Amino acid sequence: MAISRRDVLLGGAGAAGAAAFSFPAPAIAQAEPIKVGCLAAMTGPSSAPTIGFNRGVNFAADAINAAGGVKGRKLEIVMRDTQGDPTKAVNATQELISQAKVHAIWGPLNSGEALATTPIMARAKIPDIHPCVVESLIDVTKYPNAFRMAPSNSQWDDAVRNYCLNILKVKKVAVIGDTTGYGVTAVGASVAAFKKDGADVVYQANVDSTQPDMTPDMLRAKNAGAEVIVVWSVSTGMEARMFNVRAVMNWDVAFVGHPSMSSGEIAGLVEKPANWKKVYAIGYKSCSYDAAGKLPSKSEDLVARLAKANIVMSDTLLWWIAGGIDAIELIAKAVAESGSTDSAGIIAYWNTLSKYPGYFGNYSFSPTQHNGYLTEEIVMSEASTAKNGTFALAPGYT
Amino acid sequence: MLASILASGLAAGAIYALVGVTYNTMFSTSRVMSFTAGQLAMLGGVFGSMFTLKLGMPLLAGFVLTLVCCAIIGIITEFVAVRPVLKSLDQHLYVLSTLAVALMIQQVTAIKWGTEPQPFPRLFGIGSGVWDEKFWLPVVACAITIVGLEYLYRRTLVGRAFVAIAEDNFAARALGLPERNLRVASYALAGVIGGVAGFSGGELLLAFFANGALLNFYGFVPVALGGLGNNRGAIVGGLALGLFQQAANFLVGGIFSSVAVFALFIVVLLAAPQGLFGASTARRV
Repeated sequence: MAISRRDVLLGGAGAAGAAAFSFPAPAIAQAEPIKVGCLAAMTGPSSAPTIGFNRGVNFAADAINAAGGVKGRKLEIVMRDTQGDPTKAVNATQELISQAKVHAIWGPLNSGEALATTPIMARAKIPDIHPCVVESLIDVTKYPNAFRMAPSNSQWDDAVRNYCLNILKVKKVAVIGDTTGYGVTAVGASVAAFKKDGADVVYQANVDSTQPDMTPDMLRAKNAGAEVIVVWSVSTGMEARMFNVRAVMNWDVAFVGHPSMSSGEIAGLVEKPANWKKVYAIGYKSCSYDAAGKLPSKSEDLVARLAKANIVMSDTLLWWIAGGIDAIELIAKAVAESGSTDSAGIIAYWNTLSKYPGYFGNYSFSPTQHNGYLTEEIVMSEASTAKNGTFALAPGYT
Repeated sequence: MLASILASGLAAGAIYALVGVTYNTMFSTSRVMSFTAGQLAMLGGVFGSMFTLKLGMPLLAGFVLTLVCCAIIGIITEFVAVRPVLKSLDQHLYVLSTLAVALMIQQVTAIKWGTEPQPFPRLFGIGSGVWDEKFWLPVVACAITIVGLEYLYRRTLVGRAFVAIAEDNFAARALGLPERNLRVASYALAGVIGGVAGFSGGELLLAFFANGALLNFYGFVPVALGGLGNNRGAIVGGLALGLFQQAANFLVGGIFSSVAVFALFIVVLLAAPQGLFGASTARRV
């Protein structure tokens, strides 16, 4: 068979093309950094959690890179400031996916933004892990790429109800929230769940958080015979007013509920420090210290490592830092175990996790369950006992 | 329960009344309803907390500085949002311009001061329960302000000039009154009154950026109820509003109290469109 000059040229071009496509590609992939997009509200009114989360994210990325990276590949954090604005979060998400070409995304860090960005990430099939509480953000059919590594609203609700009914052993409950969408939804869900568990909801109300005097609602709750007041609000002003009114009324009822009741701002809003006692806010086992002032041993180790790395803990919450570390480590581990930054591989790996030991908690995911945080790790904390971002366990836990 | 309704109702009502007077003071010399009135009161609480708690200034110095700052904001409002639109009052552009300034004040406060309520210092430490100073201080501040304004308007030359401008702008100018300077002064005075409202109500409302919108809203009700430009009407309307609102809070619950307040507001306006104390003005032709 005669070989023409055309055959030689075609064959040569084909070989060169094949070489270009097949050989250098793995070399590039192995050297390419693992890009982790972060949708973080670094500025604006909802920036406080981000500041804590980011300390954990940067700490984890630095530690992994200092140890040689993930199978030789460095982690690159691609941070975008969403300012807590869903519109900016949507733009940043699209930019991270199409321009920065990240391999996985951490965030957004608040539900309002996540509601807007989750469908976009689902369409792009980008692995996403976030700490947002709204139930609808996790749906394995609509969003098979989205994973939650913090409790959902209903898990908070379960933990609060468990504390009231099984540890405080009260039966008559008042449920009070603010008039925001969150407050109204949370009060409704909480009341329904309490009733389902056989509790007597003697009073329920949604109160405008700017209402200057909380006496009317507190008086009605007292007259109705409430033995505990469950609070679903992020308004520290409203919460402090309720604590102050309780003191004026000489009523020793306990408050149980939203983590904002342990916010440091309340210290300045209560008329006396004693008004903030007997207030039990949602907390986490990993970030709660016992009567001897000791955290769980793994958390003690983490705090020591953070202190050694000069990570400030006094102005934030430990669970935010720990959550940021866990998110980055979960992404790094998924790349290491699946052997690539392929989206399907990362998602498939996360779906196999059972009690994966993180710092904030143990995470379990499956193809049908993407709420990874375990409800039994949620506890109540003494709201006024903040110490380096950790809290004392509320009474009743052993 | 009655004592609580009276205490908190009169306190909130006095603050609303002072915001109503702030609206009227700005309106009297410019014929402009400036929607910065509530923001001035909000700033009274924020500046008060900043000077006395954050910066640790003595109470009196903090109070005076708060009033000075609020007066300056009032003057800025006149320059930025009122003066440019005075030539076309009939187009009501001031609604847009004063609302824009109000939103700017609120956003800047949120960014610089924070979006969470901050504590306001206990001023004198007098009283407890329903006699706590946080309830009676706004009432006392309101009474002193009204007496002061009555003195200003009736006994001083400047006050009479204000009244002249309010009565008939053109005639006052024809008589040689410095209308523009008096208008600037009235905006400064409105700033001071708003500052007094916020400072005296700081213990009740806390130093919170979101109070501005709330006070804009509830401060406008007594103005409408009492008749535009009528300070006595604003005082009576404000106190009545506070009492009715607190009674509704106690009797039907907070979530329905706003509905009750505005239902009554609409009914009153339907019955007396010029306000309970207002009179339809005759125009000489």
